[in-house]
Amino acid sequence: MIPPTAYLDALSHIDAPSNITAARQDFLGKFLQAGLPDSHQEDWRYTSLAHLERMPLHAPEAMPETLPALEDYPGALLAYSDDRLVWQDTTLPATVLSTLSDAIGSGMPAAFGSLAGNGSLTQLNAALWREGACLRVPAGERLRQPVFLRFAAAEPDAMLYPRVFIHMAVGSDAILVENFLGDPGIEYWQNPVTEIILEAGARLTHLRIIEDSKLATHTGLTAVHQASDSSYRALNLTLGGQVARHELKLTLAGAGAEARLDGVFIVEGRRSAEQHLRIVHLAPRGNSRTFYRGLADGRGRGVFDGRVEVRAHADGSDAQQSSRNLLLSPHAEIDAKPQLEIYADDVKCSHGATVGSLDEDALFYLRSRGIDSETARRLLLEAFVGEALGLLDDTGLRDWMMPRLLARMPRSHSEESRP
Amino acid sequence: MLQIRNLHVAIGGKPILKGIDLTIHPGEVHAIMGPNGSGKSTLAQVLAGRDGYDITAGSVQYLERDLLPLTPEERARAGIFLAFQYPLEIPGVANVQLLRTALNGQRRSRGEAEMDAIDFLDYVKDKLALLGMDDSFLYRSVNEGFSGGEKKRNEILQMAVLEPRLAILDETDSGLDIDALHLVADGVNSLRRPQRAIILVTHYQRLLNFIVPHQVHVLAGGRIVRSGGRELALELEAKGYAWLSEEISDAADFMETYL
Repeated sequence: MIPPTAYLDALSHIDAPSNITAARQDFLGKFLQAGLPDSHQEDWRYTSLAHLERMPLHAPEAMPETLPALEDYPGALLAYSDDRLVWQDTTLPATVLSTLSDAIGSGMPAAFGSLAGNGSLTQLNAALWREGACLRVPAGERLRQPVFLRFAAAEPDAMLYPRVFIHMAVGSDAILVENFLGDPGIEYWQNPVTEIILEAGARLTHLRIIEDSKLATHTGLTAVHQASDSSYRALNLTLGGQVARHELKLTLAGAGAEARLDGVFIVEGRRSAEQHLRIVHLAPRGNSRTFYRGLADGRGRGVFDGRVEVRAHADGSDAQQSSRNLLLSPHAEIDAKPQLEIYADDVKCSHGATVGSLDEDALFYLRSRGIDSETARRLLLEAFVGEALGLLDDTGLRDWMMPRLLARMPRSHSEESRP
Repeated sequence: MLQIRNLHVAIGGKPILKGIDLTIHPGEVHAIMGPNGSGKSTLAQVLAGRDGYDITAGSVQYLERDLLPLTPEERARAGIFLAFQYPLEIPGVANVQLLRTALNGQRRSRGEAEMDAIDFLDYVKDKLALLGMDDSFLYRSVNEGFSGGEKKRNEILQMAVLEPRLAILDETDSGLDIDALHLVADGVNSLRRPQRAIILVTHYQRLLNFIVPHQVHVLAGGRIVRSGGRELALELEAKGYAWLSEEISDAADFMETYL
């Protein structure tokens, strides 16, 4: 197992003013008692984190010396490397967007830490987060440009705990992009937690992209709390990581709140990608739409685990879940598990999940028009995942995102996809 | 242009085509008629290069080359076009994207320059008008939510764009009302050229009132049992396929006894 000294050492690396050590030691104590989640826990039955035990994990030491070449980010940007802020490009006032340690320096944000819950990895993040971001959009304000948070890893065997806190005041409106990535070829563990509070009538569009290295482990949590008539629209793209797991806990706490959760995951080689969605309808007339597309090639493994709970008194709720998946090789595997638990009356709920293979008839149809099989396959796969990418048009981020996404599409007739 | 010699085809060990001989010259229109299950669609699919059929004997020469080893896309690039009996719906692929990708794939293979989006739009708009289709067809997903008639017109639109040397229309008349049939037939007639051959696969004579063939072949039990001029189709319509069944069973008896 990872020696507790590794975590205690990480704790000692945290700088003031965010080193609120009593609380952090408490969280760390709870984590050490519980340990890493293992596959005996129902929510973790698909995931193995055993490899983490064999890694010399540690808090990143050296400050990154050179700024990595940054892609163009069309909006405000906070860029982190190994859990330190290395670059910012923003004209937003610090009261709206700042690092989390700066925000805490001028007083702990109200409700910080209230949504994350008590999963052991979440407690580990609460104990050891070193830097992060705080976005607080004032009432009625609409941010003109997207806010990009770029969390990169550069040091091998680093443990990273990015922490993000988002507070959307009444009637505010913003676009948030979280981008997780790392140097190709290095192993590390990224364990981020993002809390999002939407007050009445607030709107947040949230693009979350996992592009971690092919050897990385990503265990992320997004927790969302929605007041009445608020709108949360998310696109979760899992394109990287050896083991990538994203848990999304969303509560429709106020009447008439709506959530639209789209997602695409692509796995090949021996990569795995898991999406665990926990949607709770607490109040009347909530509306949630889940729309995920998955592709697995090689010996890749995908999991869609979506659970919607409609609690008593959440009458008039409408919850739809769709998970469609394609297996591109005989050794790939996808488990799709949509679940509905309904304790209210007068609700509209449905779910559908399919796991299939590429349509040979459609492939022949395209080839019979003179389109080579490689292009035909690419057209069909792009069309398949494209159905979940509507949010890119709504945010104007299609041109920014598509080249990165297309670069991760499975190649035809790759070594791995051959039987 | 096309010489089919003694073609035998089986699916999963079951013989479907049992010795087809057919020769087609440039500019000709041939109708292949026959009852359900006679092997008409199998012949169309085999010519287009569909997987899953075992060629157990015979040969197909197309423009002086052996057709059978070619992949479906190689055949298409050599000028063969199959209008599907049941055109596929492809959600998320816009019609215009399919048409331009296909045309440019063919142009590239012939060493011609690709057409850019603007030139292509000009090119395709003329073809749309030919089939009474408006521009909105271009931006809808391929055949998704199309009516039966729209799907068949869309097949002929693809033919018009790709300008094949040999077009095989598989039951293009099935499921069409009379107005749609007129549109489709007018479209096909406007695409007749001295260098282009057309094979019409059909169950009914009706289509042949609008697209007049040079020759009619009757396929039954995996063999061409009769060939003739247009009057053969009229005779079939008057007397039904049962009229031929006696001859067919006689022929089968003959073959089983003596061959």
